Amino acid sequence: MNRVKILDERRDFITYGNDPKTIIKCESNSVSGAVSQRACVYCGARVVLNPITDAFHIVHGPIGCASYTWDIRGSLSSGSDLYRNSFSTDLSEKDIVFGGEKKLAAAIDEVAQKHSPRVIFVYATCIVGVIGDDVEAVCRQAEKKYNIRVIPVKSPGFSGNKSYGYKMACDAIMNLISPHKNRSKIKGINILGDFNLAGEMWIIQNYMKIIGIDVVSTITGDASYETIIKAPSAQLNIVQCAGSMTYLAKRMEQEMNIPFIKISFFGVEDTSSSLLRIAQAVGNEENIEKAEKFIKQEEERLKVFENKYRKSLEGKKAAIYVGGGFKAISLIRQFKSMGIETVLVGTQTGRPEEYELIRKLVGENTVILDDANPAELEAFIKEKGADILVGGVKERPLAYKLGVAFCDHNHERKHALAGYDGTINFIKEINLSINSPVWEYV
Amino acid sequence: MSKNLVNLTVNPCKMCMPMGSVSAFYGIRHCMTILHGSQGCSTYIRRHMATHYNEPVDIASSSLTEEGTVFGGEENLIKGLENLIELYEPEVIGIATTCLAETIGEDIPRIIKKFYKTHPNISVKMIPVSSSGYSGTQYEGFFRALRAIVENVDMDTSKNDKINIVTGMISPADTRFLKKLLSDMNIDYILLPDISENLDGPHREVYGRLPDGGTSIEEIEKMAGARFTIEISTFVEEEYSPAKYLYDVYGVPYARCNLPVGLRDMDGFVEILKMLGGEIYEELVEERGRYIDAMVDSHKYNAEGRAVIFGEPDFVYSATRLCVENGVMPVLTAVGTACHQLEEMLRGEIQKVADFLHFDDFKILDKCDFDTVEKYAEELKANIMIGSSDGRRIEHKLKIPLVRCTFPIHDNVGGQRIRMLGYEGSITLLDRITNVLLSRKENSFRDEMHKKYYNGNVEPANDKNGNINDIKNKILEKTKTHPCFNGCGSQYARMHLPIAPKCNIQCNYCVRKYDCPNESRPGVTTEVLSPEDAYRKYLMVKEKMPNLKVIGIAGPGDSLADFDNTKRTLSLIREADSDVTFCLSTNGLLLPLYASELINLGVSHVTVTMNAIDPEIGAKIYKHINYMGKKFTGIEAASILMANQLAGLKMLSEKGIVCKVNIVMLKGINDEHIPAVVEKAKELGCEITNIMQMIPVEGSVFENMPLTSNKEITHMRNKCESIMKQMYHCRQCRADAIGTLDKDESISFRGCTKFRTQKDGESILLAVASKGGILVDQHFGHANDFYIYEYMDNRVKFKEKRSVTKYCNGFESCDGMGGGNKEDKIDNILDAIKDCRGVIAMRIGETPKEKLERKGIKVFMTYDKIEDAVNQMVSLIKK
Repeated sequence: MNRVKILDERRDFITYGNDPKTIIKCESNSVSGAVSQRACVYCGARVVLNPITDAFHIVHGPIGCASYTWDIRGSLSSGSDLYRNSFSTDLSEKDIVFGGEKKLAAAIDEVAQKHSPRVIFVYATCIVGVIGDDVEAVCRQAEKKYNIRVIPVKSPGFSGNKSYGYKMACDAIMNLISPHKNRSKIKGINILGDFNLAGEMWIIQNYMKIIGIDVVSTITGDASYETIIKAPSAQLNIVQCAGSMTYLAKRMEQEMNIPFIKISFFGVEDTSSSLLRIAQAVGNEENIEKAEKFIKQEEERLKVFENKYRKSLEGKKAAIYVGGGFKAISLIRQFKSMGIETVLVGTQTGRPEEYELIRKLVGENTVILDDANPAELEAFIKEKGADILVGGVKERPLAYKLGVAFCDHNHERKHALAGYDGTINFIKEINLSINSPVWEYV
Repeated sequence: MSKNLVNLTVNPCKMCMPMGSVSAFYGIRHCMTILHGSQGCSTYIRRHMATHYNEPVDIASSSLTEEGTVFGGEENLIKGLENLIELYEPEVIGIATTCLAETIGEDIPRIIKKFYKTHPNISVKMIPVSSSGYSGTQYEGFFRALRAIVENVDMDTSKNDKINIVTGMISPADTRFLKKLLSDMNIDYILLPDISENLDGPHREVYGRLPDGGTSIEEIEKMAGARFTIEISTFVEEEYSPAKYLYDVYGVPYARCNLPVGLRDMDGFVEILKMLGGEIYEELVEERGRYIDAMVDSHKYNAEGRAVIFGEPDFVYSATRLCVENGVMPVLTAVGTACHQLEEMLRGEIQKVADFLHFDDFKILDKCDFDTVEKYAEELKANIMIGSSDGRRIEHKLKIPLVRCTFPIHDNVGGQRIRMLGYEGSITLLDRITNVLLSRKENSFRDEMHKKYYNGNVEPANDKNGNINDIKNKILEKTKTHPCFNGCGSQYARMHLPIAPKCNIQCNYCVRKYDCPNESRPGVTTEVLSPEDAYRKYLMVKEKMPNLKVIGIAGPGDSLADFDNTKRTLSLIREADSDVTFCLSTNGLLLPLYASELINLGVSHVTVTMNAIDPEIGAKIYKHINYMGKKFTGIEAASILMANQLAGLKMLSEKGIVCKVNIVMLKGINDEHIPAVVEKAKELGCEITNIMQMIPVEGSVFENMPLTSNKEITHMRNKCESIMKQMYHCRQCRADAIGTLDKDESISFRGCTKFRTQKDGESILLAVASKGGILVDQHFGHANDFYIYEYMDNRVKFKEKRSVTKYCNGFESCDGMGGGNKEDKIDNILDAIKDCRGVIAMRIGETPKEKLERKGIKVFMTYDKIEDAVNQMVSLIKK
């Protein structure tokens, strides 16, 4: 059991450090039976749209899909709490035979009549894709009938992977905001790709306030129908989670003439350059000055903090297994700035260019994995002697069984990791797990 | 189904079959499970189980794709089995279907047969379970898997002296208890399933990924020869009962019993074991005595419990019986599964408790969701909930504490260590329940008693915002400097901020229009400002116009239709100026909704345009209204609007706000009706009414309506003067009017908040190829976007991002948008960055590099941070 066991089909998905000869295989279907850590199209779509707080999210399908995604994410709301409910058409055997359209239409009728919603998202799951319900038609009719937005999200689980689900969610957002694209432009930006986990969108919004840049709309963290439809009138989109939102930003650029820039608020370096760039892109001298002043002040604060922790973190080894490539890159750099070497890095849905960059950022012996399974993670964590694993909930018990510290970098967390405060939280979390007394006893 | 919504399940109180099947297979030694379906099912179930048990949970998936769904998933499944065997070397594989596999009609037994045939060397035992998510819940899925196990294992029919113990979904800790009890009673048993180690394993030197605890296939083989089966489940259907199967096929006699929770059911279980030769040992007798002692000790506290119990049927049934025997009143007993027997089986004993506590009402429900649980928890005044962590939102919302004691528990640790079986487990659960009730009491009784009985020195409720007369006097002062209330010649200026472009009603006389600097009437403005711009404009105007006393929000739409803007604008200004008067005009549709917020914002003067109080007349004036996301027309629309106008005016005037009612006089429509409107305005406590001319607007329904003459207006005003104060000097101002009533100066402030244009000057532009926007991390040839940096006056600044596609000849020629020629792409890039002096990319091919250099564009390859790379390149160029 202790040896590294790799399936033949998986070999191409694994590579080592800075070896320009090999090319890592990625963006492929998961290997059947390999116990992938990935989720499905529906999951991707649901994650992206979930933070739209006053929307009715109706999951058209059997109960499991709604049950397992009910209120499991840490997105916060300053307004409605509606999004924290899970609405399901709860399809049963009878519906599979006779079709679920009627049930869906009745469900929408009821919601529309009793709750006067502004927008309803209807997620089509695996089964709906197979039994052939015309979800689009049902939504269209409901829109006409009630003069509200009823938007289908085409997300059968088998129709691709999680990234494809992001795309379907972006299409749904475009569907929602397109009718408002002729609104007159106002000064300010949209923030794309932050989901307000533990208030991260608020942190970014506060930064914008400090440097004097107006935020027109947030997509989708702490968004509501009213705020999101304002998006077409912004001057510029800034994109935080590039994996899920680049597609939307591109569509908005082409169809609404809103340019976008990508930014990142993970780590001190990224946060500072992002703030400055936003000020330069849409602000005036005053905004830039404010940004510079704020950055200086925060960086000084962080420096004091980092120095305090450096001693206890320097020289440790990290393993990273996260969803997207950008997050992995950002984590490698954050670890580097803490004096921690990344010895294993993997993602569920990384792209070739991201892996190329990862190769440049890590050491020669670092193992790089795409769509890894628990057996591989176990083997390489042991082989590389990692002290901490950064990952999602499913990986946590594995890390603990292996006697390795753990950092939750996922959508369920209850503390912010973005911005300067987020960096402090991140360093604290790494320290409190990696240097916990319990490891002396295992 | 939800109580509030018939056609939707809101916040499910159940999970799906594969979840249950996987859990059951976790109790088999050296067993792995593969879910035949798309990838998400296994990932979600793993996540659910991993957080509850705090153990690694590995479940394979056949990862069905579109192709597999259309042409059948056989190939995927066979590949998956091969891989699973290679990775984990299991002895048993559970193959559970999902919705997808069942719907496309996968024949698992046939695929298994084929697998054995094509893999003659593999002897792994494969057990198929049909577990589509839509045919049942995790409860059914659990037993279906157990049934499939006994059906598929090759049985050894020779008789043995063992007793089969079949359990439902109990915790690993309870499983360990059960095993100890059985061995302490000297019973030779086979336990199916046994999750005690696989889902609650100790920390070991070396981690084994294949679960090596649990019931082995060899033991299961002996179940057919056992002398008896005890099935610990109240509700499992015979069709899926392993005990029934063993009886039908192998003649093993069996008994069913409830989960041994509480005195009665533990006694019953012990009784069966005794009959089967189990020895009662002294410690067990003492444990029983201690439970009774605990029951007695706590009974008075427990009598205050009004419990909501929810979860899967066996758990709910047993937890309810524990409550009942302790005198805790189960006001709501709810299962998500379909389980019609529940009501019948529990009604009698719950009624008994209800009778002694004199409770009239309780509910027992199956097919229940959390929407319904919440509704009854509130209605029936529950003070404790017993179930899974899925009740946490109700706990938070209704402040009803939740005892987490069944799967799934996501927000607490120790799901794997829950104890409720046996006398000691019952004490553990009972103590948790009692302690919740005790601490609730301890933390609340002081406040409750204070609230209930203490009556002295109570402040009158009205005084939160000061005495109403004080407010009225303050507003009176403000009215003195409000130009609209003081007529022409007033020295004071007002400023309308056009921040509210949207309107939620359509009046037949109105067309909202922008950018018409020469027209002056309500609804017209040249620009719409954001709250921040409005604030800046206010500061600018205030500086130049010291007599500015009033800020008005008068559209161009309705000031409440987009209340966020209005609110933000007023808050910003109020922060800077505590004195300026806030005046707002509205159609009143959303007035009741925002009245108190307006007061809090410091709005002192409100104008509502109310043209009629009779819906039939109103229906002629209003084309439609949009209210709460819905469009209304005709009399319905007018009724809603008027009801809100009246309610809103009343709320405001009661709080001392100066309310003015505008009435547009429409010949042949409301001219006769106007005195009635004025009458009503007076009754509502309004200050003044303003009867106005209609200004016919091209494109409106009333564009051809005859004009009302000044004389007619004056006549009407005079007539109404006898009812209440009339306004005679209204100018019907624009939505962006600035100045005194006599002099509109808005034109000189238009566009004053537009942002700065770029300074001209010598500059060096650099183009950076970046995918992520933070690092130089893109090949030159792959880039669809370039970040353009400008070096000017010794400073580097981000200028803009350019998209290559914008420079391409239609989509086809760009590879970013679907195919296209590489050469074209490079040319497009060159076109996009031709004004740059340098290019920074992670990598660049020789040909494009030469092309660039021929054009005098320098190339710099790196994978640094963008800002650092730009600085380096600048110094290179400057050299």
